[in-house]
Amino acid sequence: MDHPALHNKPLACALAAHRFGLGQARCADVGDDAVAWLLAQLGPADAPVGGALASSAQGVRQYAEFIRLQQLERRVASAATASAAATGAAMGAAPTPMQAAAAAAAAAASAPPKAVSTVAESAYGSGLRNTVVADQRSRLITATLSQRPLVERLQLFWSNHFTVSLTKPAVRGLVGAFEREALRPHLHTTFETLLKASVRHAAMLRYLDNDNSAGPESALVKRLARRPAGAEQRPATITGLNENLAREVLELHTLGVSGGGAAYGGWGGYTQADVTALAAVLTGWRVPARMLVADPRIDQAVRFDPQWHQPGAKTVLGRSHAEGPDALDQVLHQLAQHPSTARFVSYKLVRHFVADEPAPALVAQLERTFLDTQGDLPSVVASLLKSPLAWSAQLDKLKTPEEFVISTARVLGLGESAFERAPDGGISPLGQRLHNAASPAGHSDRAEDWLGPDAVWKRVEWATRVADRVGRRTDARALAQQSLGPLLQPSTAQHLDRAADGPQALALLLMAPEFQRR
Amino acid sequence: MQARRHFLGHTLATATLLSPWGRMSVAATPPQDAASNRFVLLILRGGLCGLTLAPALSDPAFAAARGPLAQFSGEALALHQGFALNPLLPQLHRLYGQGELALLHAVGLPYRERSHFDAQQLLESGGQRPFDLNTGWLGRAVASAASNSGNRGNTSKSGSAMTAVALQTALPLVLRGADGVDSWAPSVLPEPTPDLVARLQSMYRNDPGLAQALARAKGLREDPGMAGNMAADPTLAAPPGRTAMVNLGRKAADFLQRGAQVAVLEMNGWDSHANQAQAQGATSNNLRTLDALLGALREALLPNQTWGRTVVLVATEFGREVAVNGTLGTDHGSGGAALVLGGAVNGGQVFTDWPGLAAKDRFEGRDLRTTTDLRAVIRSILGDHLRVSTAALDQLVLPGSGHLKALPLLRS
Repeated sequence: MDHPALHNKPLACALAAHRFGLGQARCADVGDDAVAWLLAQLGPADAPVGGALASSAQGVRQYAEFIRLQQLERRVASAATASAAATGAAMGAAPTPMQAAAAAAAAAASAPPKAVSTVAESAYGSGLRNTVVADQRSRLITATLSQRPLVERLQLFWSNHFTVSLTKPAVRGLVGAFEREALRPHLHTTFETLLKASVRHAAMLRYLDNDNSAGPESALVKRLARRPAGAEQRPATITGLNENLAREVLELHTLGVSGGGAAYGGWGGYTQADVTALAAVLTGWRVPARMLVADPRIDQAVRFDPQWHQPGAKTVLGRSHAEGPDALDQVLHQLAQHPSTARFVSYKLVRHFVADEPAPALVAQLERTFLDTQGDLPSVVASLLKSPLAWSAQLDKLKTPEEFVISTARVLGLGESAFERAPDGGISPLGQRLHNAASPAGHSDRAEDWLGPDAVWKRVEWATRVADRVGRRTDARALAQQSLGPLLQPSTAQHLDRAADGPQALALLLMAPEFQRR
Repeated sequence: MQARRHFLGHTLATATLLSPWGRMSVAATPPQDAASNRFVLLILRGGLCGLTLAPALSDPAFAAARGPLAQFSGEALALHQGFALNPLLPQLHRLYGQGELALLHAVGLPYRERSHFDAQQLLESGGQRPFDLNTGWLGRAVASAASNSGNRGNTSKSGSAMTAVALQTALPLVLRGADGVDSWAPSVLPEPTPDLVARLQSMYRNDPGLAQALARAKGLREDPGMAGNMAADPTLAAPPGRTAMVNLGRKAADFLQRGAQVAVLEMNGWDSHANQAQAQGATSNNLRTLDALLGALREALLPNQTWGRTVVLVATEFGREVAVNGTLGTDHGSGGAALVLGGAVNGGQVFTDWPGLAAKDRFEGRDLRTTTDLRAVIRSILGDHLRVSTAALDQLVLPGSGHLKALPLLRS
């Protein structure tokens, strides 16, 4: 503990509150020992706040119902445009009163094709959409109200490391369940536990296409291939492997891309053959949607289906794994304990918390702890918190839009009210679409990706709106002193003193470099 | 299909382009029209499948290798040399017929791994290995034009230095490295007062990153010619569906009509691991959006004959495997296709050194082999159209690409 910042207690507290937390209304609340305040937070995550939170099994059912209604409408709409007789036939084929009602509603409204999705949209509105909105709101409110902001930061980090995104429709209803089931219960365990929970979750299996990946020699593919060929026989939609999940597990979740990380000694170390073999190991791990719909008592949203599994042993990274469900556990163990994983994950942690270009010495410290403890996450995080290299007074990181919005809500004490008008707290217009990352690599963790002119302008607009709402009842000058402590620059303090009015002072505080950065 | 033949006629053009004398004269006295030329880069993220965009119908291995993906929603739209366009691209096919669009096939980056993120980093940085460079080739090209004009730092209105705009909130890597880059995206939030912005600028004296971003954004909004009152258009705030993308294309055209020389757009969602040929699937819908977006862009650039001075490059980070995967999609590959269109384009032709689709001709037995380096395409456009000097291209913009032959992509 020999970094100057650690000897300056107010400065250490302010850094702890912003760099490792999500902002505090009073950084004095951190107390005299910033590191101890942070270490004491490590442990199981708190129960998530919020109502209408669906389990993954419920999410799967909601999505299935939405799709069922959508397909029903399409059928009815096409029948309606063909002839009245055909419409009658389609309705006659509907087996339940609810379907018949939906069909009638859709048929009545289906003269212009634009009205086609009315019923499915309303079903989406009542079930699936509520879940999507509740998930976003819960994520933000839980982080905003938390007394253990470090744990919530870890949750934000890991949910970005193991990205699942609503950009894939079949993931709708599952993203919040993924965070609550796969991540939050395991943030204080080992990387291996977290990895296994993430890869085998319904959201991940669907997001990265494993739900439809079958062994080319699996029983299922053989059966589909035996179907009699006919003129109207469509090709079998499932014929073999989909490598998507396997590749991203290796590249993004564990080893890092081959050839990457040269400045840190390099990571990666897998080949295309390893990708294909891992994809074969993963076959069979799926979401049994039909079973879940048929029997509402089932709450396991994932099961291993041997019909889909590729027979025979598979060799991943030089190690052979026997056919069957146990191979995935073994491979994920192998990946979690791999030195490349220790290095890559350590790098990402340091990059997230401390600097866009992490100091190799600090990455090496975490990597050593990771290897020594077999990836014990509290130990790895503790080695970060205890390193003087993590406490530079220089604010290298720009808050992401989500961190900016949450820390604003916390510092202003807005609580849940901050997320009443827009379920995503207005984060999406700032360039970070919540639960909708554009790729499996997640949202960027580098300032340059958030510092575009339009992105900064939108932050100013957002700060203006918040300031218009609460600026008149807020003393921005006092808030700046309490929340930023020694981080508050004289120039910023001067601008706050000279502000034209309360709202302007608050907008200036929210957009001040020492509030935008951490 | 006649492989490895199409380039043979272009030796003379190549020699002219590489002539140091010719290039020096250009650098010394830029022609009057250089500043009025326009360039649009459309990045398709996720790995566009080149054989879905432009099937190689007469390759003997095509039908067998593609299986169900050889079926299209209608008859594929014929080009030359046995290639075709996907039937979901009727406007692009019309442009090809009018000589305003060229297809490049078996084109790719100098990258043979299959990571989206590394490949996109290369596509935008223009480096030789991922993460070698942390600025973008287009940003460096803009910067080199600014320094050539002796007008660094004052880029927005002088007309002698290049101005660039990204039609998105986050600044893409490809445009990093230049001072004169704007970004713009539709907003639903209230405008801050000019007084607040002035105070923020004063407060950002010691934070160059925030200061520069704010100054650029402010400049864009103050210049009545640039931003106008488009921010109030509610349709522009829609999520990036087809209407929103078309509107974004029109907005890009608006910037270009009003003086920006370079615009960057992007479209996500090309990672077609499943149901790639499904009529209402994501890939089919993306193709329809692509056709609509580029059609709208052209239409909005026709006034003032701006389209005649425009080149649009449509590029992706990598192609996909030739064979269909287990879910009626394709997994990550290497070689793919690119499009170059615009009134300034020497179109109506297919540029390819076709390697063939038979398994033995593929890279690692899997991918369409890359026979044309995408950087050669970029060099040709930047050099011939935006008058970036060969020295700047070799050393600054696309280091390590000096050996690549230019392609005759522009009307002479």
